[in-house]
Amino acid sequence: MRSPIIQCQQLNHVYSGKVALHNINFELDAGEPIGLVGPNGAGKTTLLSILSGFLRPTSGTVRLFGHPPGATQLIGKVSALPQDARLDPSFTIAEQLVFYARLQGLTKQQATLEAGRVLENVSLQEATHEKPGALSHGMAKRVAIAQALIGKPELILLDEPTAGLDPVSIRTVRAIIAEQSSATTFIISSHDLTELDRLCQQILLLEKGILQPETISINEQQAATRFITLQMETCPAQEVMAKLQAIEGVLQVINPQKNEFIVAYNLDLQPNMDLQLMQCININHWQYRQLSRGKTLEEKLFFRG
Amino acid sequence: MHPGFFYQLLLISQFELKQGFATRKGLLSLVTFGVVWYFILLYPLRFAAELLVEEKGLRQYFSFFDFIGFGSLQHWPIPEFGVFWQIALIIFPMLSITLAADQTCSDRERGTLRFIVLRSSRNSIFFGRFAGVMVIQTLLICVTALSTFALVLYRDATLFTLAIPNVLIIILNLILAVLPFTAMMATLSAKVKSAGQATVWAILIWTFLAGIISGFAYYLPALAFFKFLIPGFQLSDLAQLSEWQTLQLAYIPILQSLTLLALGRWIMARQPL
Repeated sequence: MRSPIIQCQQLNHVYSGKVALHNINFELDAGEPIGLVGPNGAGKTTLLSILSGFLRPTSGTVRLFGHPPGATQLIGKVSALPQDARLDPSFTIAEQLVFYARLQGLTKQQATLEAGRVLENVSLQEATHEKPGALSHGMAKRVAIAQALIGKPELILLDEPTAGLDPVSIRTVRAIIAEQSSATTFIISSHDLTELDRLCQQILLLEKGILQPETISINEQQAATRFITLQMETCPAQEVMAKLQAIEGVLQVINPQKNEFIVAYNLDLQPNMDLQLMQCININHWQYRQLSRGKTLEEKLFFRG
Repeated sequence: MHPGFFYQLLLISQFELKQGFATRKGLLSLVTFGVVWYFILLYPLRFAAELLVEEKGLRQYFSFFDFIGFGSLQHWPIPEFGVFWQIALIIFPMLSITLAADQTCSDRERGTLRFIVLRSSRNSIFFGRFAGVMVIQTLLICVTALSTFALVLYRDATLFTLAIPNVLIIILNLILAVLPFTAMMATLSAKVKSAGQATVWAILIWTFLAGIISGFAYYLPALAFFKFLIPGFQLSDLAQLSEWQTLQLAYIPILQSLTLLALGRWIMARQPL
C-alpha cells in the first residue's frame, strides 16, 4: 500500500496572536504537480514554510514521507524554493551550489557535476562563476530554482516559482516541472492561475488560513454537466448569450468577463457541443479567440456554484 | 545514506573558514587585524618587555608594574609573554565579540539559511558555524603568539626552549578565554537580526549582567555565585596567574561555553527561518 508523501493533521499556526493556519488537515500522494492557491495572506507561504522545516507549527502534526519536516531522513528527498530567499553575496553561484550538493552527501566531483547540471536546467551556465549580486532578479530566481533541483529530490515545494520571471524564463520553469514530474512531485504555490491550470491536476485552496473542504480536481471526466469556456473577439454579449442558450443541450450561459462566456451543457443531450458552438459562431460571423473544454481554474476556485 | 552530523559540521565549518579567509570581507578584517597587531607588537609589547627586562636587571624594590597593577607580568620568566598575556586577554575577547557576531543572523535574514537547512540539520549549522569561528580565532591567536615568540628569539635566541611551553600555555589559555565569548555570540546570533545587534546585546549583557550581579552580591554575598554566568568573569583573576597556573581556572570558560551552547542550540531549533 502506498503511503501519502505529506500528511497534515490539525495543523495550526499563530503569528503574534494572528491565526495564519487553522486546523489544516490533508494528505497528498506522490504524482502530478499539485497547486496551492489562495489570496494574499491566506497562509500559503506559512504552510510551505512549515512543510520545508523553516517554521515550527504552533500545534498539529506534519509528516513528510513519515518524518517530521527538517528531519535528516528528508535530506536529498525534499527540497524547496523559498520565497524571497537569497544566496550569500560573498560566494559565486557555483561555490554555493557545490556546497549545497556536498551537504546532501555528494562527493566534491559529483557535486561539481550536479551544480553544472542544475544550472544548465535553468539555462544559466554562463552565471556559474558570477556572484549573486551580479544577477538580475529573474536570474537569481532561476538559481534558487536550480538549488531546489540538486540531487533530484522526490518532493519539491515551490513558493511562487514564476513571480518576477520573464515569459521565456516562465516557459523554462514550466518545462522543468513537466520534465521532472514523472519522478518528482511538485507542490506549487502561485497566484498565476493560468500557469497552475496548465501544470497541475489537483489544487489546494487556502482562504484565511483555512483549507477549503474540497480539493479541486482539474479533471472533470466524471461530471454529468460539462463546461466550455469561449473567449470571443469584440462581440454583442446579449446576442451571443441568447443564441448560445438556444443550442440544444445548453443548460446555462454566463458572461463572467468581457468577451468570455462559460457554457454549461448536458453531455448526454449534446455530445458534440464544441462543434455546435463553432457552427453558431460561423453562422453569425463572429470572431472567436479561444475555445476550451472545462472552466478556467479561476472560475472553478472563485466563482463556484 | 544520509550525510552524518559530523560530516556536515565539518563542511559547514570549512565554508565558514572560507568566509573568513577567502572572501573580500574576511580578508579586509584580517588585514585590519594584522596592521593593528603589528603596531601592538612593535610598540607597547616590545617597549613594555624591554622595560621589564631592565627592571629585572636593576633588582629594585619598587616596581612600576606593581604600581600600575600589572605586577603579575614579572611572574612570567619571559617578559614578552607576560605583556602579550595581559594584552591578549583584553584584545581577543573583544575581537571575539565582533568576529563571531554574525554566525547565523545575516544568513537567516537574507534567507540563505533556508537553503542550507533544507540539506542539513540545525544542530550541524549551529555547531558548524561555531567551530568555524573558533578555528579562525585559534589561527589568529597562534599567529599573534608565534609573532611574539619570534620577537623573543630576536632579542635572545637562547630562550627558545624556555619559550616553547610558554607559547603553548598562552595559546591554550586564550582559546579557552574566547570560547565562552564565541558561544555567547553564537547564541545571540541565533536570535537577533544582524551582527550589529548581536554586538550591542553582547555588550549590554556583559556590562549590565555583571553590574546587576555585582550589585546584588554586595548585599547578599551568596549571589556572587552567579558571576560564573558572565563570560570573561575569570579574566581578571587569570591575568594575575602565570604559566601552568593559568589552567587552574579552565573549568570556568568550559562550563560557561557548554551552558551558552546548550541555550543557543535550543534557540536555533525553535527560531523561524
